[in-house]
Amino acid sequence: MIVIKGLHKSFGSNEILKGIDLHVKKSEVVVVIGPSGSGKSTLLRCVNYLEVPSSGTITINGQTINAKTNINQVRAEVGMVFQHFNLFPHMSVLDNITVAPINVRKKTREEAEHNAMELLVRVGLAEKAKSFPSQLSGGQQQRVAIARALAMEPMVMLFDEPTSALDPEMVNEVLDVMKDLAQSGMTMMCVTHEMGFARQVADRVLFVDHGKILEDSAPEEMFSNPQHERTKEFLAKIL
Amino acid sequence: MNSIVEFFESIVMYFEGLDVDFVLNSLSLLLLGALVTLKITLVAVSCGCLIGLFVGIAELSGYKCIRLPAKIYVDIIRGTPLLVQIFIIYFALPAILDMRIEPYVAAVVACSINSGAYVAEIFRAGIQSIDRGQFEAGRSLGLTWAQTMNKIVIPQAFRRTIPQLGNEFIAMLKDSSLVSVIGFEELTRKGQLIIAATYRSFEIWTAVAIIYLLMTLTISRFVAYLEKKYNSSGNSNK
Repeated sequence: MIVIKGLHKSFGSNEILKGIDLHVKKSEVVVVIGPSGSGKSTLLRCVNYLEVPSSGTITINGQTINAKTNINQVRAEVGMVFQHFNLFPHMSVLDNITVAPINVRKKTREEAEHNAMELLVRVGLAEKAKSFPSQLSGGQQQRVAIARALAMEPMVMLFDEPTSALDPEMVNEVLDVMKDLAQSGMTMMCVTHEMGFARQVADRVLFVDHGKILEDSAPEEMFSNPQHERTKEFLAKIL
Repeated sequence: MNSIVEFFESIVMYFEGLDVDFVLNSLSLLLLGALVTLKITLVAVSCGCLIGLFVGIAELSGYKCIRLPAKIYVDIIRGTPLLVQIFIIYFALPAILDMRIEPYVAAVVACSINSGAYVAEIFRAGIQSIDRGQFEAGRSLGLTWAQTMNKIVIPQAFRRTIPQLGNEFIAMLKDSSLVSVIGFEELTRKGQLIIAATYRSFEIWTAVAIIYLLMTLTISRFVAYLEKKYNSSGNSNK
């Protein structure tokens, strides 16, 4: 589904990603962990070209992304959930979810709204359709953001620290939605610090440090028997 | 004591010649002028918004060949007096192009170009104030650059710039008095004409000032209302 080969990314002279090779299969849930500044968010942002890679190739569902392909077309197939939600504050919850299906997928308003209501039921927020983002709690906003990404019926979902900006008591409501999604067979890449989630849901956990994937293994393996010295150090600090 | 009495006597004498007909005639002429002032301001700021939107976005472009002309336009217009700009468009351009320009056309064009530069700066700052995540969220959903600007960024930037746009409208309303120098009959020019015929400088200039004041006060109230309306409809950005 996602094939990344030799991905490098530099900001000026600062090299963030130093050669990433990764293959994510269909319906696989991959959790990316690592210290801050290790490049895990940058890796995720390269996948839908929010950051333009310095070198290397990214192929999504057989379509290689580069300056020549229609980036918008690829992005429409890749849903992204941000740490700070990034809901559109001037639109109602319903409009937040329908704006892309109507303008990109060229759906009719009725169709898009019908679909949006189904998604809101799925994330447990049907009664908030007419609310504005500022009237919702952080957890509710993030669930709307997930619904907004799902409305495009993406093949892959990317989560960039989706619970890091939330109050502790709201973390679970978002994780529950993500677990649900994982069980429904969605291909997912998650950058997160929620190790419980990684243990429960992930098929693979990647440990990224200094722009490289140091370890790539099943969650039990990663948490109970880490191979790399840096992984041991990192896990010792956070577990 | 004597001088105070003389002072009041002179004031009374000054107003003795006033009659109802003069007041009504002048007032109706001035109000017609005020309408023209309002009209030219509306047209100029509307055109200014259109110019400003494109120039403001151009100023933020990643391409130097787009950004540079926009910056030059803004610098030149903001760095020269509106009065000189009016002279250039009404006198200088027709002279080298060998044509005549109506005062109305010259006035509208000069004010629009002038307003465009100020509005461009307002929009540029407004767009820059929108969180980058908004743009990224739009793009990550597959919206094109233009769709993201149109549906996501500009509506938010516009709401945020309402107070500054209101200021620009008020500034233009007052500055439009400058087009009186090319004989365009807006409020100030009407005042001059009445004074030329009647020599009642004090009453007319006071009346002109009060009419400007009433218009600017009304507009600033209206802008405050708009600002409140958009801020209460639940769209505060984090």
